[in-house]
Amino acid sequence: MSVLIHCFSRCFSRIYRALLYTYPREFRLEYGGEMERVFRDRCGDVARTNDPVKMAHFVVASGADWIATNARERIDSVRTIVSTARKAAPRGLVNEWAVTILMYLFAATTLVQAYVIPTGSMEGTLRVGDHMLVDRAAYAKPGALGRYVMPYRDVKRGDIVAFLYPEDTRQTFVKRVIGLPGDRIRMVDKQVIRNGRALIEPYTQHVDPSIEPYRDDFPLSPEVFTTPRGQNMLDHHVVNGEVTVPPNTLFVLGDNRDNSADSRYWGFVPREYVVGKPLLVYWSYNAPTADLAEWNVGHLVDVAEHFFTKTRWERMFLVPRSQAAQDGGAR
Amino acid sequence: MTKLQTPTPQSLLPLTPPVFHILLALAEEERHGYGIMQDVAWQTNDALQLGPGTLYGCLKRMLAAGLVEESDERPDPAIDDERRRYYRMTALGRRVVRAEAERLAGAVTAARARRLFAGGKA
Repeated sequence: MSVLIHCFSRCFSRIYRALLYTYPREFRLEYGGEMERVFRDRCGDVARTNDPVKMAHFVVASGADWIATNARERIDSVRTIVSTARKAAPRGLVNEWAVTILMYLFAATTLVQAYVIPTGSMEGTLRVGDHMLVDRAAYAKPGALGRYVMPYRDVKRGDIVAFLYPEDTRQTFVKRVIGLPGDRIRMVDKQVIRNGRALIEPYTQHVDPSIEPYRDDFPLSPEVFTTPRGQNMLDHHVVNGEVTVPPNTLFVLGDNRDNSADSRYWGFVPREYVVGKPLLVYWSYNAPTADLAEWNVGHLVDVAEHFFTKTRWERMFLVPRSQAAQDGGAR
Repeated sequence: MTKLQTPTPQSLLPLTPPVFHILLALAEEERHGYGIMQDVAWQTNDALQLGPGTLYGCLKRMLAAGLVEESDERPDPAIDDERRRYYRMTALGRRVVRAEAERLAGAVTAARARRLFAGGKA
């Protein structure tokens, strides 16, 4: 039984010592050692009673004490910092903020990125003015170590991806992946046919009932405007009236199929141009495309004036889901 | 940490239960942290079991307010533990705990007058 007592107090003392690190630094340095000693004494006393109810009560009470006093000391230390900062900014404060900002920058640049939808090409799924976070780690090529640390999976058909626009890598686009390397893609009367199977795509919307030759019967009759990359796709990757997706690239289309500048017009997306996976919409604001692409004073005033009315509250924290198309039979 | 400038005992009332009982624990002798904790539990019949965070958070504020101070002398070499910090009550602390006890006694008298409390007349 003494072994059990020993284990109980040692185990909880260890946990408590780790928990002490959550207290503000100054408080911990001043009282941490004493608190640990007192905790160990009390732990031993409780363990010696051999009463499981008392032990459980002690564990719960210690947890409550930890949470309550942690909050209290944090508030206290912030108050001290604020009151001393008024006199002169101490170096500790600068350091603390520097660390916070560095961590934020790290997180912002490597893990997530804020991004706003400037055009209506994904309308139906994502709207103009949706501000969202992009998970940059999702499709990142993992290193030997990163494989174990980061959840990682490769791009799948039906995923929504954010990527650098191949014709101008200063812009980031968001579209849906339709074709992976080796896939054969064509469209007949707005119907996408992949590898000879028609796709049922519940996520698409069509705003124009008429049939346009190239847009809806891709890649036939390519007399419309295509960029050099788009032309290159038509010249080199069309076989028997179908586009074949070359290795290490993706074929992407907007969900707003009739009004989307996508792979039909500017070709394939190189795999390394993929930035990440849209995580969630954190703010959706009803503003014109030009204002979203570049912030200006007028837009700031507009946001200040109409924040509550023009914010689409129902889209807050919306998660854009990847969705695989269903099989609509052979074509 | 700002030291308050000789506050009157009344300005610090009412005390929170942990502060009051810590002062009571230090009324007769100086004690280390665990000694205070045990004495508070004994005073209150185990109703108030201070956690380490509560205990040292209170002591920190009580030191700042000048109610207690750290002691350099060791009470008894036999039971003394070199590494532990001992605390003792200051003169201000004694005045404050007396004022708080009087306030509580007044409250008890009021309760008794309204027949809410029949406790023995001690």
